[in-house]
Amino acid sequence: MTNHRIAGKGRVDHGRPVHFTFNGTRYEGFQGDTLASALLANGVHLVGRSFKYHRPRGILAAGSEEPNALVGVTHGPGRFEPNTRATVLEISQGLSTNSQNHWPSLKRDIGAVNDAAYMLFSAGFYYKTFMWPKSFWNKVYEPFIRGAAGLGVSPTQPDPDTYASRHVHCDVLVVGAGPAGIAAALSAGRSGAKVILLDEQAEFGGSLLSETDASIDGRSGWDWLTMAMTELAALDNVTLLPRTTAIGYYHQNFVGLCQRLTDHLADVPQGTPRERMWKVRAAQVVLAQGAIERPLVFHGNDRPGVMLAGAARTYLNRYGVKVGQSALVVTTHDSAWLAAFDLAKAEGKVVAIVDLRPNISSHLRAKADSLGIEVLAGWTVTGTSGRLRIKSARVRPADPTAGGARTIACDVLMMSGGWTPSVHLFSHTKGKLNWHEEEQAFLPGEHAEASRTVGAGNGSFGLAKALAEGAEAGADAASDAGYNGRSAQYMVTDETELTGIRVRELPTDQNPGKAKAFVDFQNDVTAKDIRLAVREGFKSIEHVKRYTTNGMATDQGKTSNINGLAIAADAVGAPVPAVGLTTFRPPYTPTTFGAFAGYNRGRLFEVTRKTPIDGWAEAKGAAFEPVSLWRRAWYFPQAGEDMHAAVARECAAVRASVGIFDASTLGKIEIVGPDAAEFMNRMYTNPWTKLAPGRCRYGLLLGEDGFIRDDGVIGRMAPDRFHVTTTTGGAARVLNMMEDYLQTEWPDLKVWLTSTTEQWAVIALQGPNARRLLEPLVEGIDLSDDAFPHMAVAEGHICGVPTRLFRVSFTGERGYEVNVPARYGRAIWEKLFADGQAYGITPYGTETMHVLRAEKGYIIVGQDTDGTLTPDDAALGWAIGKAKPDFVGKRSLTRPDMLKKDRKQLVGLLTDDPMMVLEEGAQIVFDPNQPIPMKMVGHVTSAYWSASLNRSIAFGVVEGGHSRMGETIYIPMPDRTLSAKITGMVFVDPENSRLNA
Amino acid sequence: MTMHPHHPLSGEGIALHKPFPLTIRPLADKARFSLRIDPDQRIAASAVLGLNLPGNIGDVAYAGEKTAVCLGPDEWYVTVPVADQAEIEAGFAALYAQQPHSLVDVSHREVSIGIEGRDAALVLQSAIAFDVDAMAPGSGCRTIFDGKAQIILLRDAKDRFQIDVWHSFSEHVWHFLQVVAREIELDI
Repeated sequence: MTNHRIAGKGRVDHGRPVHFTFNGTRYEGFQGDTLASALLANGVHLVGRSFKYHRPRGILAAGSEEPNALVGVTHGPGRFEPNTRATVLEISQGLSTNSQNHWPSLKRDIGAVNDAAYMLFSAGFYYKTFMWPKSFWNKVYEPFIRGAAGLGVSPTQPDPDTYASRHVHCDVLVVGAGPAGIAAALSAGRSGAKVILLDEQAEFGGSLLSETDASIDGRSGWDWLTMAMTELAALDNVTLLPRTTAIGYYHQNFVGLCQRLTDHLADVPQGTPRERMWKVRAAQVVLAQGAIERPLVFHGNDRPGVMLAGAARTYLNRYGVKVGQSALVVTTHDSAWLAAFDLAKAEGKVVAIVDLRPNISSHLRAKADSLGIEVLAGWTVTGTSGRLRIKSARVRPADPTAGGARTIACDVLMMSGGWTPSVHLFSHTKGKLNWHEEEQAFLPGEHAEASRTVGAGNGSFGLAKALAEGAEAGADAASDAGYNGRSAQYMVTDETELTGIRVRELPTDQNPGKAKAFVDFQNDVTAKDIRLAVREGFKSIEHVKRYTTNGMATDQGKTSNINGLAIAADAVGAPVPAVGLTTFRPPYTPTTFGAFAGYNRGRLFEVTRKTPIDGWAEAKGAAFEPVSLWRRAWYFPQAGEDMHAAVARECAAVRASVGIFDASTLGKIEIVGPDAAEFMNRMYTNPWTKLAPGRCRYGLLLGEDGFIRDDGVIGRMAPDRFHVTTTTGGAARVLNMMEDYLQTEWPDLKVWLTSTTEQWAVIALQGPNARRLLEPLVEGIDLSDDAFPHMAVAEGHICGVPTRLFRVSFTGERGYEVNVPARYGRAIWEKLFADGQAYGITPYGTETMHVLRAEKGYIIVGQDTDGTLTPDDAALGWAIGKAKPDFVGKRSLTRPDMLKKDRKQLVGLLTDDPMMVLEEGAQIVFDPNQPIPMKMVGHVTSAYWSASLNRSIAFGVVEGGHSRMGETIYIPMPDRTLSAKITGMVFVDPENSRLNA
Repeated sequence: MTMHPHHPLSGEGIALHKPFPLTIRPLADKARFSLRIDPDQRIAASAVLGLNLPGNIGDVAYAGEKTAVCLGPDEWYVTVPVADQAEIEAGFAALYAQQPHSLVDVSHREVSIGIEGRDAALVLQSAIAFDVDAMAPGSGCRTIFDGKAQIILLRDAKDRFQIDVWHSFSEHVWHFLQVVAREIELDI
């Protein structure tokens, strides 16, 4: 393996070797290398196979615009990432990398038959070829295409890394730390403004790192850079973020930054997030993203060894790597000449400079002569040869009448078609881009946000312009943010003024119909494809893009957009701006899902609300179920019990003696004020005026539409104080609904609402022995049935702790709900459980609660109702205060539609086979013999095994169900059709005798 | 028989011993009230509390161990030593007939967490979207933490914040603070 590194040259640390592997081969690079620079230093150009044709591909660029060198990276077990750009991946000790999209190997790839059959794979190939037979698409065509085309393989293991995020507010955000960005940050930073300067690369400096000719204020570019960065680092008000990409620019100067924290490190401390998403809200934004070099479009321009001239210059000056032993330069722009000169000065061999322009400035010619470089001005390149690496190029005069072709041997071809300002972020803001004919570029027009564009990204090429524009913009941004921003002057010397022309395909004397002249390297789109698309009627660039895939996917057209557009415009016969520019979309570069997810994984993915008694249930081995954000004890299995057995045992224990249940999750709202009763009258269907303090009532809440929204038992603690309970899941929305009405409809009412859901722990004791257990522990409340009957509430103490004690039942048994301040919930529960041993007290969970309430015909809002049931539909018409002038939903209840006899109504269902428990959600029909599709007339809402009745029970909604008592309905299931009789909903103790048992 | 209170975060604590130390810890329980009263009655209510209720939303008033933050035009969140609770409740009960209001005991609803150190604002900035460092010392607000939990945030001093959060959300807030504190520990 040849070493292409020049000793001592570049900014990598030659004293710190780093070892890594590529396709299993061990290589050495240096600290500061990217994978691309380290591979090139080892003479490796071939790094992948192309997307569609499986053509061998090499490293094209030196930055995030790289379309070819996408590799799979393994940072350790479970840390595989596909499609990483070798040009931005910093090497670290032991890094393992692989090329993609080939089989069996990178050098011998079966998929390359696609290349031979390229005539078949032209634009729109898939649309045209795989249309028929239609049934083949899912099973044959799509899996085949997905297998054959594509990029890397998705990781199969869960990502072991963590990701961070942080909001940040600043005065001036500077995106891009090239000379323009640094100058902007200096001006803004010196004013005292809070500044963030970021760059996607590991090192700040941008083009200063690659181009070493000019000097600033009498210093070399690198010395000036060191000085500038030292000053910025010393400013407390300036934050420097290397390895950070501004991925998206959103409304009101909200910019997303993704910072890579650990990928470049060999050893990472435990708990270090891999990346951080910065969510920046900036008063002012300065965009200094620079420009991306355009490839030239000619036959064979994708052969490994063909690369951008500016990239070759970066590898040389920044990394000390000669990209080849024998370089041919092909260009339409002066900048490639400078790359050639640098290489020649570093004792690299430049065999010739082929420039399409017949007239070259005399000083460039003179310099080339002095370095012994042959100049072919007015010439073009028409093809390349070589299988896995370029061996030669065919060149000839662009004028077809002038002279013949020559073949020039070379192992690298450095090309430049000029530079495209990087306007992606500006484009995210919906800022309008204007076509500048002179610069042949789209440049930012009026800014839609408080932002400025500077430097090459603004079409202001060259160091002097970049520094001047950056310094000015930084000062202006700081001033606009309220600081006294002052610009600075920078004296740039020895800078070469650069010019160039933009072309479409390079002129050729060969058959253009056979040319493999690539425009989009990542998506394998050729010039021919774009012309074909236009011939087939696609005139808008947006359509051409989608038909050909030019500029799609992760690349977003960084190197291909303008070339593709120019060719399309030529084919259409219209000027470039008339064909339009496709929209750049965030993210600017591919971003990990982890960075977007941030902290939202594992236990931080979602809040798990736990009651004060949760720890006790966990220690007792409870099974839990999620109920809204809460986790609730579902059932308490004893050794050997399944859910069915546990629930049957818990149900029997409640009916026989006493059960204990954690009801703390119930929503609670304290409603206080002189107008509390009036407010309750207006919100709930029930009448409240005559409810005496110390008594409770079941409350039913409707929406404006008349449909049931929530319910719960409500206690009147005092004439102007109610203790409202809501469903567990409804707590927040009920409070919001009440506040909404209070603030917008009835601001005159003197009443205030406070959530007390979490002030109280609630312990339900249910069963005939509940009172016996409770009575000795309670002080200040007479528990006799006369003094404290069903639906009473009182304040007192239990075990010395203040309590609000409710006598309520959701089981049909004698029941109490002990409300105590939350911190005491656990202790009171444990005391009740200990004393309850005398009665065989049994803890029960939500499943038993559900069964017991269903046996008694009590509904659960949200399970038995679905937002379309009125109180009458749910057999709750009794809960409506008929004499009340109004309540929320009242008017809707008399709409004709709400009074129809065939509305779906909630009924009890008893299966003809008593052992069969219906499936909740199963559809109901009247006639099981009707043709399919059958008319569905309702569905099962609740279904359980009732241990009390030794049979199944269910609720369902059925059209006109209330007038169909005793009728048989049918429930078609996949394997058979079940039948059931419509009944009332109360299955156990219809006389309510057990409430006082 | 004595019933012992059980604090959701009992035993927890984070202390980073660095050149700029950071401590995050559950704070001792106090009596906490949600007070809703016509702002015109602020003076009468202040007299009962022994603290001048602030009139501007976001302002915090301190009087000894008592604090009150104004959360809305007619809403204050008040914390006082537990020993003062009964007296304050009795005082407001006496005030009610002339000046109706709502005083609700939310002592057990909330858990208080203190965050202290140079990087306290930075810690919070991972969970809170607004510019935490722009909060004036002696100010507070109701806001959203990690997009998931409603909290009351007080900045008692430049380097000292207090979060009050419902107890069932406190574990989530605590786990989040643990993760972010690790970033501070690692200087990233």
